[in-house]
Amino acid sequence: MLLELTGLSKRFGPVEVLSDVDLAIDAGEVCALVGDNGAGKSTLVKCIAGIHAIDGGTINVDGRPRGISGPRDAAALGIEIVYQDLALCDNLDVVENLFLGRERRRGLVLDDDAMEQLAAETLESLAVRTIRNLRQPVASLSGGQRQTVAIAKAVLWNSRLVILDEPTAALGVAQTRQVLELIRRLADQGLAVLYISHNLNDVFAVADRIATLYLGRMAAVLDAADTTQSQVVELITSGRSGSLGLIDTNGVRP
Amino acid sequence: MARTGTEELRRRNRAALLEQLHRHGPQTRAELTEALGLNRSTIGALATDLAESGHLQETTGRSTGSAGRPSTLVECVPKAATVAAVEIRARSVRFALVGLGGEVLERTESGLDEDADPMDAVAVITGGTAAEAIEAVAAVPGLVDAGVVAHSTELGWAGRDASADLEAATGREWRVVDTATAAAVGEWSRGDAHESTKLLYLHGGRGLTAGLVIEGRAQRGGSIQLGHIVVKPGGLECACGLLGCLEAEMEAFAYTEDIEHATAAAGLGDAAARDRLRRAGQDLGRALGAVVTATGPDEILFGGWLRELYLSAAAPVRSALAETTLPHLRSKLRLRTPVLGEEGPLIGAAEAGFAAVIDRMR
Repeated sequence: MLLELTGLSKRFGPVEVLSDVDLAIDAGEVCALVGDNGAGKSTLVKCIAGIHAIDGGTINVDGRPRGISGPRDAAALGIEIVYQDLALCDNLDVVENLFLGRERRRGLVLDDDAMEQLAAETLESLAVRTIRNLRQPVASLSGGQRQTVAIAKAVLWNSRLVILDEPTAALGVAQTRQVLELIRRLADQGLAVLYISHNLNDVFAVADRIATLYLGRMAAVLDAADTTQSQVVELITSGRSGSLGLIDTNGVRP
Repeated sequence: MARTGTEELRRRNRAALLEQLHRHGPQTRAELTEALGLNRSTIGALATDLAESGHLQETTGRSTGSAGRPSTLVECVPKAATVAAVEIRARSVRFALVGLGGEVLERTESGLDEDADPMDAVAVITGGTAAEAIEAVAAVPGLVDAGVVAHSTELGWAGRDASADLEAATGREWRVVDTATAAAVGEWSRGDAHESTKLLYLHGGRGLTAGLVIEGRAQRGGSIQLGHIVVKPGGLECACGLLGCLEAEMEAFAYTEDIEHATAAAGLGDAAARDRLRRAGQDLGRALGAVVTATGPDEILFGGWLRELYLSAAAPVRSALAETTLPHLRSKLRLRTPVLGEEGPLIGAAEAGFAAVIDRMR
């Protein structure tokens, strides 16, 4: 397993936001993380990213326990996160954005040619045909193209786990399709993908496994091939579905 | 007898070498040695052989970035063997002349009047070039077996001997495959489905067809009439005369005309459009369940307008599939969208031609 969370818990003061969460993600698969608002999805991602310190449990990467105490630690382990707001700079062009903060240098000056070539190769490997000009400012790109740049930025650094927080939330239909195909391609190329979404259609279109959080607890982690939409909806809304999910339904530990 | 043995072995190796270069592009001799598991000197002899026959050429190659003399690359000569590929659709005919190595040498497309016979259009569009090609392959949407189109919703054909008609129109021999099978061959050889051993490609045109290829090879009987699987006995009447066919139930014709419109409306929150998409996805999933149970593929590609439908209605498709197939069949099943898109059938038709060319060399 590339990433394995065991018994993860996180409190904000008296509020237990995550309690005893187990999740494992392997290379080459898309694991979708679903749950209602406030179920703890974003907190879980921030714990993996090192933004929040965890209060209990362990995070194993490649089978070894790791302390992730900041985004730099996460990046060093090959974990990259694409946030909802994308964090791109409008006034910079595509290449500058991809390498922002990690520019290649040749002596004292930036190695623009090498960066442009690497950017082109990365986009090529992701079969991105929507961005023609790598030197156009990001401000002139559409929502789908921006999302593509943000994802490419995450893939550029030999990352092994890419976490996507609602990547299709603000996109139109055609752009959503492109991003979904891109997500699938990332996993097919051997990356692990943790994909957070509210849209079950999008989840079913790309996910190999579906993990459902309910009030800070992991209700179930199911194979997408064995699951139906109504089961996932029940797990999201009530934490259980038939024999699946949490034993108690009110979110209180028995 | 030992002599014929070595001769045969050499022929096989020659075909294997050519296939390797055709599929994977220019390579150095060292890479070829590794890929084919043959001796260095054997590769050298084979390459010389094929260079003499005009199939290969050696070029001053790429630099590997390290010091030293760049190694020479062996590559196919595109003009040494060309395949004419044609895709026939309801309103258009598309043509490509593809050279050895996969390079597209010519590419044209022409519209078709409602009552015109596509065969004549093929004759016009291919012109003199079809005669030079060593193979000619036509992709036809519908149920195809051994050159005969048994049924095609899109073209309105039934029991038409397409290969004979094409021969009469153009004066050369044609292979006929169905569009879905051609696209499957294309995605396997030039797309990213080459890891699949049993690949099922679903083609959404005017009418739904599917093609099953095994290790990238078209099989007789691999052409499947997906659109005429009955998903609701006693349901809506289909043009084919049956009641409750997938095509009729999922209102396939409405989607063919405007899948963009339907999915956009659903995306913006149109409840009726959403409901129709959900039901279409469900019906597709059920029909697929029957196909998966019967054929056991390990990868399904949603092509044509089914790509849009799948990406917008994946939840009902997968839910219905989970409810109608056995666990061991669905656990190894991958659902994907094709990377070649619209070009798939044409590229695949050409690849089917090259497979025949290379087979003949063995």
